[in-house]
This record gives sequence, structure tokens and C-alpha cells, in this order.
Amino acid sequence: MPSVRSTVDRLDKPSSYAASKKRRRGGGRERDEDDGRQQRSISPTDKLKEATTLYVGNLSFYTTEEQIHELFSKCGEIKRLVMGLDRFQKTPCGFCFVEYYTHQDALDCMKYIGGTKLDERVIRTDLDEGFAEGRQYGRGKSGGQVRDEYRTEYDPGRGGFGRALNDDYGPADERY
Amino acid sequence: MADLDIKPEDRGDDRRDRGRNRGSNNNRKRRFEDADNHYDDSRAPPAQRRRHDRDRDEPHHRRPFREPALPKIRRELLNIASSTKLPQDEATDIARLLGDNYDDEELRNEFFAIFLQLIIEQPFKIPFVAAVAFYGNDIKSDIAADAIKRVADRAQTALNAGQWKEFKLLLRSLACLQPLFEEDGVFALLRQLFDTVVDLQSANESDVVGIELVKIILLTIPYALVSGGPSFHEQAKGILESTAIVAGNMVPIEGLIASYSDHAEEKPFPYHSVIGLLQTQLSNEAENGWEFACIPRFHRTIPKAAAEDSLPTAPVLHVFPTLSVPSPVNPGPTAVFPEAFFSLFAGHDIATVPAITDISCSLLRDAIVDTIDQLDFNREAVAKFLIDLDCYWSVGVFAKRGTHWDKLHEGYGDTIVWKSEDMIIDAIFSQLFKLPSPQHKLVYYHSLITQLCTTAPAAIAPSLGRAIRFVYRNIPVMDLELANRFLDWFTHHLSNFEFRWRWAEWIEDLSSSDLHPKKAFIIAALDKEIRLSFAARIRKTVPDEYHHLIPQELDVDKSPDFKYDDPQTPFAAEGQLLFTQFRKKASPEELDETIKKIHEQAAEHGIEEVLVPSTDAFVTAICRLGAKSLSHVLGCIERGKDRLQSVARTSEPASRQIVASVVAYWKNHPGVAVSIIDKLLNYQILAPSTIIQWALGDHLGGGKALTESWIYELVSNTVTKVSSRNRDIIAVRLQKALQQQQVDMVDGHLAEGRNSARELFKSIDDAVRGVADGAADGLMEGEGSGAISAEEGQLIRAWGRRWQTAFLRRAQVEESVIGEEAIEARLRLLAAEADPETLPEADHENGTTAEVPNGDTEMVQVE
Repeated sequence: MPSVRSTVDRLDKPSSYAASKKRRRGGGRERDEDDGRQQRSISPTDKLKEATTLYVGNLSFYTTEEQIHELFSKCGEIKRLVMGLDRFQKTPCGFCFVEYYTHQDALDCMKYIGGTKLDERVIRTDLDEGFAEGRQYGRGKSGGQVRDEYRTEYDPGRGGFGRALNDDYGPADERY
Repeated sequence: MADLDIKPEDRGDDRRDRGRNRGSNNNRKRRFEDADNHYDDSRAPPAQRRRHDRDRDEPHHRRPFREPALPKIRRELLNIASSTKLPQDEATDIARLLGDNYDDEELRNEFFAIFLQLIIEQPFKIPFVAAVAFYGNDIKSDIAADAIKRVADRAQTALNAGQWKEFKLLLRSLACLQPLFEEDGVFALLRQLFDTVVDLQSANESDVVGIELVKIILLTIPYALVSGGPSFHEQAKGILESTAIVAGNMVPIEGLIASYSDHAEEKPFPYHSVIGLLQTQLSNEAENGWEFACIPRFHRTIPKAAAEDSLPTAPVLHVFPTLSVPSPVNPGPTAVFPEAFFSLFAGHDIATVPAITDISCSLLRDAIVDTIDQLDFNREAVAKFLIDLDCYWSVGVFAKRGTHWDKLHEGYGDTIVWKSEDMIIDAIFSQLFKLPSPQHKLVYYHSLITQLCTTAPAAIAPSLGRAIRFVYRNIPVMDLELANRFLDWFTHHLSNFEFRWRWAEWIEDLSSSDLHPKKAFIIAALDKEIRLSFAARIRKTVPDEYHHLIPQELDVDKSPDFKYDDPQTPFAAEGQLLFTQFRKKASPEELDETIKKIHEQAAEHGIEEVLVPSTDAFVTAICRLGAKSLSHVLGCIERGKDRLQSVARTSEPASRQIVASVVAYWKNHPGVAVSIIDKLLNYQILAPSTIIQWALGDHLGGGKALTESWIYELVSNTVTKVSSRNRDIIAVRLQKALQQQQVDMVDGHLAEGRNSARELFKSIDDAVRGVADGAADGLMEGEGSGAISAEEGQLIRAWGRRWQTAFLRRAQVEESVIGEEAIEARLRLLAAEADPETLPEADHENGTTAEVPNGDTEMVQVE
């Protein structure tokens, strides 16, 4: 039987992150857009076939491990939870890795928790090949995630304006 | 969400976009837009409704675009029943396009692949999809012949694997083609299936697979009669007469799957089994001349090509495909249980959903539930199909979307119309409240409701608000497990909608005793909300009357107090010292020294088990040091693991003290305590029985503990862990080609796991039975001394009964999986299966992926 395609798209597919990255790498100038994630070696899709880890993004800096635990354990027992930290300040910087015991739990999490709210923010989940030491740190210039460097809209849950902009205009706290 | 204070539709969309567009990857948004036409070739025009096409066609200066046949047929088939074309014309057009290109093998294969997949994944569309084959028969009889063959092959595969849902849906598509079959068509197969039921039931009187088969038979009849017409009425009647006995029978486990407590004097809804209801409804329908008004109809038309002078020809008839029921019957990857019918809205004064005596009730419910369960991998698509429910049934079945419930019958005269939103919510809650468990994780149903509220807030929210009020009203008599599922859903749901709820409605219940189920629910709900958010935030979302339930202590953004900081606490100096030593990573000998001091003093004070105060100090120190986060406390536990394990091995009271100390330290945040205890179970520091003995022994407090939802959570988590360990062992045992030595070893583990599970359930039952009967020590003393009033005593007893039912059920479900009989049946089936070499997939199915629904693993590989 040929591989069966579903009649509607699946929410538990890995994002285009791996594929797009591969293309970008081949295309010359290499620039990492996503944080806390390292380059992948061969065949990312194969690695994700048994993935039990999820990258979770768009968290508030104030969201705690306990809150994440409370929500994500609805999809299965959590084996490990690694908070994403600012490289310099070692404070949460808005992402984390959640590791389950089974691949099925990770897929279910993609389907049932990805795109819902935690701490009143819509969170993003993506299958991940697994946590490795070092990946818990943001890779933006100032220590957080790259996306928080140049963000022009004000996001109180993620440190106000982009860090690079804060430097120019002063820290967000003083303005508000 | 008008009822939940949600503002109009645009608000919901806005919120979704705000979150989505922010991420660096805008993936999900794209997926949503592509949801129903991702098959499309990028060159083809997007799937749009007819009116858009007309708009676009108006300026004629562009060269007409001629869409290639393959993408066109894909798109039209996938979007069947969603256009403004008449369903009949649409099906005929697709059939004609297929007929014109029948030589194209790629197109043919693609067409039938989608054809099958639609039947399995989008049950609403079965009559429409079948209509393509039905009209195709007149265009080219091979179309129908091929369709029948492919459906039958797939149905046989499903039957062999015990995939009952898929089998039912495929059978339904054949039933829709009844007029194309020679002789009795699908009715012959239904009789054959019933013979299997008779065999199963006579071999085992508590058989449940037979019940599932009867359900499939009864749900197929309506579709076969609608398409086949009056000539089959007698046959249907015959089958109905034979199923009556099975449908009317009660199997033992049914006593434990009722939604409301057996002891309740007044139940909001009596127990009905799904097949019992079906049988009654079909008998009623027989008296009404088998109308089945809600099922869409397709009539054979004279092919347009036929000249006016020629008479209509008889259709080409096909032999009904032969299907064989395997012996022994494969019960499927998951245990089958009988089903209770659940409804929030049925039987109310203003009927918004069909009466339970009406066959539409079961037909619609069945199709909605299957749509939900078959498409769990895309809740956005499910939400869209559900909102469009009225597109897939006869015209006039439903009121206009979003009609307010008490205005439902205005403007429709005597015609009965249903409120589609109520039917959707009813169906989702029937799964959320399905016992022993629904097909998917409960959180799926949570996220689907959230999705519906985001997709159509104005229409869905009022129905949801009524659902919440109905459940809340009946919570005192609701099954304990269901009450806890409701609690979990309610708080999770609110966390997605800014915690908005009209708490003012429930203020009067705040004056009840904390033992009252409604008050206990409110207390638990606030705790659960705080866990997902934080206390100060939740306090802002409730009226002042609730504020005393969220005390200021919960706010402080620092760790809970360390009791040994207070010099009044016994062993204060040693407790502080232990904390300092542990923090500074002192050597085990230094810790020993301090602990020895506690032991000496304790002995002086005449404390029998000196390990208890020293364990209290040590565990409390670990909690204090690890108070910053779960990771911190895990690190500390890791460091103290050896000591904790040896303490727990040495002394039962000391091991229970570990639980007590964690709970005492985190008394204001029971959720954290529950998580930590769960981890201690993983580290095998605590035994499951220790947790139960603490929770339902030391902590029972005359039964008051049974009202605390976190105690239920603790006990339930512990039981779940034990049973999941056992399932892992079973999965190993059910592998093929195990060596005898391995078999012996695994069987040993299995026996051990089975015994400890049985003992655990027995200890739970003993404890809660004592409360239910009023014989528990604490309860009798409390009542004797007046500390517990008579009224409170009754409330506590009722809690005890609800606990008893919930865990009796868990025990029986466990028995149906790990009991000797269940294992033997699985092993017999394994032996009966074909050799792994000849059936490569069979091996895969026996691994841990056996319960994967919808081939999730498979799909990931497909790009």
C-alpha cells in the first residue's frame, strides 16, 4: 500500500525549521534565526522520527517551571524540563525544552498543546531532536533569544522592546 | 463567548493572530489556511466556493485556465459537500470527470486513495463520497466495482486488526451503495456479523466485543435503508428482532461506567447503554416507516446522455464482496468496553437536541464523535467541520447557526429543529466524560473546545456556558473521576480565555461547608487556576467574596517558610544545621552527626521511631533548598537519594514521613507537593503503597481528605503509574519470538505487578469503604465528639461512596488488562496470528506502538 496521506494537514509534523535551515546553509551565508538550537547534522527528519523532546517557544519570561509542568503533563509524564536561559544573566528568556518518555506523548503535545495558551500567551511547540548541554542558552547578542533583539512591538512578557532597541531608547521600564 | 464574557468574533481572531504572528516561524497560521486544500497543486486555483469563481470569471480578457484533471478531481473530492452546488450534481460531476480519465492509472489510484481516506477520516462525508460511486456506476460501472472492491479490502484489513471504528465507517459506505448490490447486499453481511455475535456471547457471557459488533450492525441499518429503500424493510426488521436480546442485556462492568453516582436519589439523566438506546430508537423508527429524516438522500437519475426516447436502464448490479470474520475475533489494540450514553442537553423542557427516543440522536452523535476522534491530528479542521455540521445532513434538520436556545422554535412553526452548537458540545462532553476512558487523551477534548470557541465564539460560548452550569449543578452526584475531569477541563479552558467566568453566580455556595462537593469544587478550581497562572492574577478574576480562598500567603514571591527557623519548633537547631550542611554539600558523615543528635533527643522525649523526626528535618531541608523550582528540588533529591532510600527501606513510618514533610512544606501549593511525590515514586524512594497509606491513612482525617481534589490527584496518579508499569511489562510479554527463558522472566514480573496492583486497589477500597460505611475510626470519633456534625457525616459518607466506585472501576479495568484471563486471551490471539515474516506489519502492531491511533508514527515519515 502506498503511504497514506491524510485528507487534512497534520499538526504533529515537525516545522520547516530543519529543512529551511539546511537550505540556508547550502545557500551561502549562514545565520541562525532560532535560539537555543544548534545546527543539525544528517537527516533531520530521521532524527525526529522517534523524538521525545519538544522545543517550546513564545513563553513569557515570568512563566515558571511549575506552570509548564502543570500544562505539559496533561500529555504524559515529563521526563525532563530544561528552561531556556539568558546566556549572561541566567534568567528565563522565553523558551524551554520538554522531554517526554514516549514519542507518542510528544506528538500528542504538538497536536493538543501547541498553539494553545500558557500564562495567557499562545505558545509554539516543535519536535526537537533532543536537548544537548549548551542549548539552554539564548543566542542573541545580548544573551536572550535572537527574536527579542530587534522586536519593535512592546511585549511586557518578554522584556519590553527588543534589546537592541532598548539600548538606543533606554530600558523599557523607564519609559513605562 | 457571550456567556463567558467573550467579546464578538473579531476579538477571537485577533487574539489568535497576535500570538501566531509573533513567533519567528509562522507555520501554524499557514497550516490553518491550507487546512482543506493542501493537496492542491500550486498551479491549480485554490479551492473556493462557487460564488468566488463567478466573480473571478467576470472579466473575460484573461485566457481561460484549464485545470489538469488530477488536481481538479483531488480538490473536488476533498471538498465534497462544502460547495454551493447541489450534492447530487457535485457527485455526478466528479464521477464524470473520473469516468473521462479512467485510463489514467495515477489519477485512478489517487482518487481511490482519497476516497478511502475520506470515509475513514471525515465520516460526515460518507453519504456524499458514496454518491460518487453510486452515480459513477451509470457512467462507467467499473467505477462502482473498483470502489466496492477497495472499500471491501480495507474493511477486511480493519476487521482483522479489530479496528472497529474504521470497519464501521467502511461498512457504512457500502451500505450507502445498497441499490447497486445483487440480492440482499449489505444485509447478508449484517446477518453474518450477528452470527459472530451469537458465537462470542455464547462462549463468554460477559463478552464485550459482541456488543461492539451489535452497535456496528445497528448503526449500519439506517444508511442501508435510506439508500436501499422500502424493499429492505423486512430484512431490517428481522435483524432488529435478533439483536434485541443482546441490546437489552447488561454486562457486569456496566454497573461501573455510569456517569452519575448509583446512590444518588435523583439523577439528572438515567443510565442508558448506547446499544440499548439504538435498539429502542430503531424500533420506534420502524413504527414511523423508517424515515431517517436526517440522512441526506441521493436518487438515481436518468443519465443526461440518454436520449429522451430511450427508457431508463436498470443499473449494473454487483456481487456484495465477501468478508470473513477472523477466528478468534481480534478485539483490537485497546480493550473494548460497553458505552454509556451521555448527554447534557437531552430531555430538557426546550428541546435543543433530539430526544433519546429519536434515532437522529444516535446517528448524529455517532458521526460527530467519529469526526472528532478520527481527526485528532488537526483540531482546527475538526472545529471547522463541526461548525459546518448543518452542511452534511438533510436540509432543515438544524436551526440557523447561533440561534439562541430559547428562541429555537420561533419561526420554524411545528417543524422540529436542533441547535447544532448544543449537539457539538454534547458530543464533546460525551467523550470528555466517557468511562472508563475516551479514545484520546483528555487534553485533546480540551483543546478542541478551545478551538471551537476561537473559531465561532458567539455561537459556541452560550452552549458551553449552559454545559458548565449543568455539570456544576450536578457535581454532587457525578462520578468522582468525571467530576475531576470536569475540574481539570474547566480550569484549563479558562486559562485560555483570560480566566473569565461569571463567578458571581456561585457566591451562594461559598457559605456551604468545605465538605460540600460544590464548595470543594470551587476551592479546587481556584487552586488549579493558580497552578496554571499565579495567585495575584487569579484573585483579580474573581469577586471579593472569593478572596478569602486565595490568602496573601500565596502571593509572596519567595519560598514557603522553613519551620526550623522558628526556635519553638522541636529540633529547630538541628533542622537549621542540617539545612546549612546540606546546602554547603557537607560530607555524609557530618549529616549523620546531626541526624544522630536528633535521634538522641527524640529518644529522650520518648519518641518511638526516631527516624521520623530526623526524616522530617532532612526532607524539609531538601524542600527548602529546592524551593526555587522543580529542577532545583530534583537536584536536591538526587543528592539525598541514597539516604532517603535507605530510610524508606528501614522504617514504614519514616517513609510515610517523607510524604508528610513534602506536603507540609508545600501546604499552600499542593500541586507542587503532588509533583514532587510523583518524582519520589520515580526514584523508587517511595513505594506506591506508602503514598496510599499516607493519603488514605495518616492524612484521612475522618474522611475529610476525600474532599480534597489534590488527594484524589495524588492517589489517581499513583495508581496510573502502577498500571502503566504493568502495561510496559505486558508489551514485552506480547512480543513475538520470545525465548522460553525470557518468557519465564517476564511472567515473573507480570505476576508480581499483578499482585501488587491488586493489593494497592484493595488497600484503597478498604480505606474508602470504611468512610462510605461510616466505620472509619476518625469519622466515628469525630461524630461521637461532635467535631463532625451529622450533616457533615453524611457528606463524608457520600464522598466515600464516590471514591469507592471510581477505584473499583479502575481495579476492574486493570483486571481486564493484566488479569490472568486477559493475558491468556492476548497470548492465544498472538499465537493465532500469521507468521511475522509473512505479515511485516503484524510485528510492529505488537510493539508499544500498538495503541497509536490513526497511524501517527507512519505519518511523520511522509513528508
